[in-house]
Amino acid sequence: MIAKIICFALNGLDGVPVEVEADVNKGVPSYEMVGLPDTAVKESKERVRSALKNSGLLFPMNRITINFAPADLKKQGASFDLAIAVSLLKASEQLVGANVSDTVFLGELSLNGDLRPVNGLLPILISAKGRGYQKFIVPVGNAREASFLGGAEIYPAVSLTDVVKHLIGIKPILPLETTEFVAGAKGNYSADLKFVKGQPMARRALEIAVAGGHNLLMAGPPGTGKTMLARCLPTVMPDLTFEEALEITKIHSVAGTLGEEGIVTTRPFRTPHHTATTVSMCGGGNRVVHPGEISLAHGGVLFLDELPEYKRSTLEALRQPLEDGKITVSRAGGSYTYPSRFMLCASMNPCPCGNYGSANQTCTCTPSEIRNYRKKISGPLLDRIDLQVEVDNVTYDELTSRERAESSAEVKARVDEARKIQRARFGDYGIVTNAEMGEREISAFCALSEEGDKILRETFEKMHLSARARARIVKVARTIADLDFSENILPKHVYEAASYRLYDKLS
Amino acid sequence: MYSDIEKAIVNLNYFTEGDYREKVVRLRKMLKEGISEKDIKSKKSDKLFAFLEKKNYFAVTIASSDYPEALKATDEAPLVLFGAGNRELLKKRKFCIVGSRITPSWAEAVTKRISGELSETFTIVTGLAEGGDRAAIDGAIGSGNLITVLPCGLDVCYPAAHYALKDKIEKSGLLLSEYFFGEQARSYSFHARNRILAGLAEGVLVVSAGARSGTSITAGKALDYGRDVFALPYNVGVRQGEGCNALLKKGATLVTDSEDILSYYGVQKKKRVSVLLSAEEEKVLNVLREEGELHTAVIAERTGLKIYEATAALSSLEIKNLAVKAGGNRYSAL
Repeated sequence: MIAKIICFALNGLDGVPVEVEADVNKGVPSYEMVGLPDTAVKESKERVRSALKNSGLLFPMNRITINFAPADLKKQGASFDLAIAVSLLKASEQLVGANVSDTVFLGELSLNGDLRPVNGLLPILISAKGRGYQKFIVPVGNAREASFLGGAEIYPAVSLTDVVKHLIGIKPILPLETTEFVAGAKGNYSADLKFVKGQPMARRALEIAVAGGHNLLMAGPPGTGKTMLARCLPTVMPDLTFEEALEITKIHSVAGTLGEEGIVTTRPFRTPHHTATTVSMCGGGNRVVHPGEISLAHGGVLFLDELPEYKRSTLEALRQPLEDGKITVSRAGGSYTYPSRFMLCASMNPCPCGNYGSANQTCTCTPSEIRNYRKKISGPLLDRIDLQVEVDNVTYDELTSRERAESSAEVKARVDEARKIQRARFGDYGIVTNAEMGEREISAFCALSEEGDKILRETFEKMHLSARARARIVKVARTIADLDFSENILPKHVYEAASYRLYDKLS
Repeated sequence: MYSDIEKAIVNLNYFTEGDYREKVVRLRKMLKEGISEKDIKSKKSDKLFAFLEKKNYFAVTIASSDYPEALKATDEAPLVLFGAGNRELLKKRKFCIVGSRITPSWAEAVTKRISGELSETFTIVTGLAEGGDRAAIDGAIGSGNLITVLPCGLDVCYPAAHYALKDKIEKSGLLLSEYFFGEQARSYSFHARNRILAGLAEGVLVVSAGARSGTSITAGKALDYGRDVFALPYNVGVRQGEGCNALLKKGATLVTDSEDILSYYGVQKKKRVSVLLSAEEEKVLNVLREEGELHTAVIAERTGLKIYEATAALSSLEIKNLAVKAGGNRYSAL
């Protein structure tokens, strides 16, 4: 007899339906698998055999053929185990009366018949639901993640025995209740701006960067709090919407980095070490193409500490995803596109000895040494970083009064307001933040007064700026004006924006 | 183009066997006593001069009519100078500005301004190094009244990073060198070059100099040649200013503005166009003028401005050339 069971394979961030067909026939006992299964899938033979036996079920001693359709898609991973087991049971008539045709089975089996969680469950569920599937049997370990889907019957099973009892109706499993998504449910970032002492200029730059979605570079001597400031970035970013959270969760689910919570509720903060390879940064792998750091940082912050220490080629590889917000990784097995719309925050020392601009140490570097150090970062990359700010190690003894440091929540409130203005402005343009503006949007929304235009021209002459840098200053000025609730870009906004192009001055 | 005697000097200087220094001594003696007809005839080869013409270079010898008089008067004057660019500048009044490679931002800004204002009256003479020299170049290059003396052949660029800058000077100003083409810069050639800097100019302004720096050599030569020496003043304890303060102690003229130099030479300074300042900019500038170099946060506190208002005001003052950023978010007034 032949049985057909629906399972799903992962292709990038999409689930692709795979039919698992089992044929149990008379003949010399054998157990064959066809339909392009990879090693992990083939190995399921033994897991399924043991799991069946140890669950008190019968492993048919006949001629068994398992087929995976479509036959041209490479099947990877262990998530087919449950589907294979169920198809065998159905084909060997151990599931009499059970309707399995409209149910999707997902899960890896252990030898004793328990179901193990699989990676990438949420993307599969989302794709499957989109294709009209309504019933799912999933490992109980994935239950939390699956419960966010909503609008589908999802049955979390502990073991193969549970699944069989559920299917033949002895002991039905209760479908999962949909969990309501609450942004920041875990709610506590360990960092907060109120713990950052001083650094008013850097704080301001950080606020502008988040408000307008700009990338940020902090330069300063060692130990001035660059990393701490960067860690505060996610805390002032707008709350995740459910759609954003789902998209981020999909990536983390595929990468297997999803925590117990089952969904990402806080914005990611990724800090790859500077020895990171291009592949680990952008995604890759020879069999399964894993999302890279830039995709794991999607919707959040990618923090590159000590920017000049990264390999040049790795940094250059960031340019295209920074522009497009997604990356396509092509391997022999196929092409996979992962989203990668992240905020880049980088830090660096101002010079090789680290003391340039320091209040209490003397810099021993010559101008050419400093220039060569900064040259390690290519112009095109620097061009994509709208805000460049110095972080200094002033002790603030010079200050008589001490202002209370604002908390992240206070800054975030202003950021939210600025974002609201931007959303209203870009309604029909398909972008969300000022940083994403192209030439068309700049000319539509960033008209400068005559005086503002004059200032910009003066600034260019003085700082020898490129045309691209001009656009960046205008965009930042737009964000500053938004934070100021000003409809027009005023001269003071342009001046302030110009002060954040630190490294353009060094020609 | 070149007279026979000029050709002979160039050829004797670069194309005869023997130690360079001995050669120069011999040549000098020959020049004093008059070069013999025989020497002139044997040494008037045209090969080099064809090359010079092709490359748009020129040679000016101590026997040439436009050899700078001031330099000729020193007993260490080079017999031949190769040049590229505007030869006319040799005849103009010259003033030398030098500084060490590590020069504080405020001094660079002041130098650039002084150099720019002086270049309306003088041709600025300087080197091609980073820091002080670079600031002097940046100030004067717009007017074209700029002579840069190299410590290497005209076709060599040291530092290599200034290749484009050197090209620009050749186009609008003048490059000079006593070294033959292809000759690399060596530690001693900087010392030798410095004597030409001092020799060419009526006065020398030292904008930054450590206790033992090449800049001090230029200043020392200037004193030897009886040139006027000027220096920027520095705070006590600032290493890049020790040489400047030492010069001031010895009697150099203290300079804070181009007017100090121009009035020394009896030249009326052109009035600087006054710029309109906003109330915030005015406040910030006043605090800077009172207290010297300050951190942005401190400026904001002193003026009662929000930090971002102070940032905008400072950025504007910088663009208007009234303040300069010193690194570490510190600013000072100009």
